[in-house]
Amino acid sequence: MTAAWFLETRKPRWNRLESLVKKAGLRGPAALSDDELHELTRLYPAITVDVARSRTYLLDQATQRHVNQLAIAAHGLLYRRRHVRTAGALWRFFAQDYPRLFRRLWPYMTIATLLFAIGVLGAYVTVRIDPPTAYVLVPGGLDKPGASARVTSEDVSDRFRRSAKPPMASGIMGNNISVAFNAFALGITAGLGTCYVILFNAMMLGAFFAHFDNHHLTYECWSFIAGHGILEIFAILIAAAAGLRLGLAMAIPGPLKRLASLRTGAREAVLLVLGTIPMFIVAGGIEAFVTPTYLPGILKIALGLAAGAAAMIYLLTAGREGGNGSALRGKTL
Amino acid sequence: MQDFDVIETPENVELQRRLAGIGSRFIAGLIDNLILAGVFVAIVVAFLIAGLAGMWGSSLNPQAWVTAILVAAAFVVYWGYFVFFELWTNGQTPGKKSLKIRVVRQDGGPITFIDVAIRNLLRVVDSLGLYGVAGVVMFFSKKSQRLGGLAAGTVVVSEEVPSYSSGGTGKGYVHWEREATAEALRATGLTAEEYRALSNYWARREQLSFEARQRLLPKLMEPILKRTGQSLPDASVSTIESCIFTLLTKASTAEGHRHPSPPFGFGVQS
Repeated sequence: MTAAWFLETRKPRWNRLESLVKKAGLRGPAALSDDELHELTRLYPAITVDVARSRTYLLDQATQRHVNQLAIAAHGLLYRRRHVRTAGALWRFFAQDYPRLFRRLWPYMTIATLLFAIGVLGAYVTVRIDPPTAYVLVPGGLDKPGASARVTSEDVSDRFRRSAKPPMASGIMGNNISVAFNAFALGITAGLGTCYVILFNAMMLGAFFAHFDNHHLTYECWSFIAGHGILEIFAILIAAAAGLRLGLAMAIPGPLKRLASLRTGAREAVLLVLGTIPMFIVAGGIEAFVTPTYLPGILKIALGLAAGAAAMIYLLTAGREGGNGSALRGKTL
Repeated sequence: MQDFDVIETPENVELQRRLAGIGSRFIAGLIDNLILAGVFVAIVVAFLIAGLAGMWGSSLNPQAWVTAILVAAAFVVYWGYFVFFELWTNGQTPGKKSLKIRVVRQDGGPITFIDVAIRNLLRVVDSLGLYGVAGVVMFFSKKSQRLGGLAAGTVVVSEEVPSYSSGGTGKGYVHWEREATAEALRATGLTAEEYRALSNYWARREQLSFEARQRLLPKLMEPILKRTGQSLPDASVSTIESCIFTLLTKASTAEGHRHPSPPFGFGVQS
């Protein structure tokens, strides 16, 4: 077989494929009829062979490139994501994959929690010793006391009562989910960025507690924070654990190559952080609709504890391995 | 940095994917961000209209819900735009689509939700300093990947099928040597041998040095000119080559639909 003969015989096929690719154009395979799609599936393997042949015959660069690009374009049309039923995939994810992932990654959760505890304690002690530092550690979060220098329970929640609740709810949810996403993404800095997010939030919380303890408003403070805060902080810690998973995968690759390790880590971490979204939605709802109400503080605290406990029980018990569940292990979205 | 990413297909053939350049990716990103900006402007306008309509009351009222939905919409658009489009269209946001580039997995498979989520959550870090982080990382990465691409294992490739038509009418492929058909010979007045020699020369002239062409051309053309009694105004390479081109075009045209266009030469069209 000569190069000329090769070209002569393959040309119609290439032209046909090119016209199919052009026809698919911006709309993708949807633009093709059933027959044309069928034709495409037959042309594609043939053209991959032609790519190899065109190299064997040392055809000129332009032809090689053209055939290669045709094959790539056909490849892009044919190899697509398998259609998944979103609802089913979501259900399986939250019913078993997510809690299992959480349990598998518990060491990262522990590191995040320890760091957070250190931050809270450090800021708490600092503000108890030197009260004015509270205004530094909680930027813009505290109303300066008036001339009487008295901090009242009104300072804690009055601002919340003044604003409209639905926009506040979606604003809080959006903001908190963004914080969680940032805590994950910043993990790429070998985990340092995530540590910053953890410590920043921990110090804010510690200072907040200390500030109100300084003014003997411990109960008011708890009744303000606990309702939404327990679940919210739990979720933030999970997001931070995701960031640490990503960061440590890169910093300490172990037996894997660094890039391979990063990729494995990223796949687990991204699922871990995405699963926190419902928790933030619940917490944001409580923060906007329950926290600003005049319900007795003890009820709000109870609600917060219940929400936190529910999340904890779900994550620790749902989708337990064993039975027929284990067959699906490792399958993800 | 390399220009190609090689994947091996299930058919055991290595396909080379042309990696999208920093330029086209930048322009695609610019288009996407302009679209995003447009959506945000629309949301802000809706916000203002809601405000003018007196929706800032502190009580639970239907207007407050409209505002809440707008806030949520802004959030969803901000985080979801790239994820949605890359998933929906198999790796192409509107910006990428317009530049014919596509996000693909490095292993050649189609991108999945997880790939897209990783890529686009890490965009937060990549976009720091007006995508300065992404630019620096892409510069040092072998396959022009930003952090998101490195972590997700995706590359952005160009799917442009290089335009191959000469004269803009059809498609042609390089021939070493053209079959001397009766039509072609009649139209050009050449012998079969001369015709093959000329087409052969034409197809390969790009690979020849200028000196070689200068040497070859008179040898090729003189006997033909002598036989047909024609002459050329001068014997420069470009004059003789344009004469050959005219002859070969005539041959192609005479052959009609067998070869819809002059099948030779990429030099001609450029």
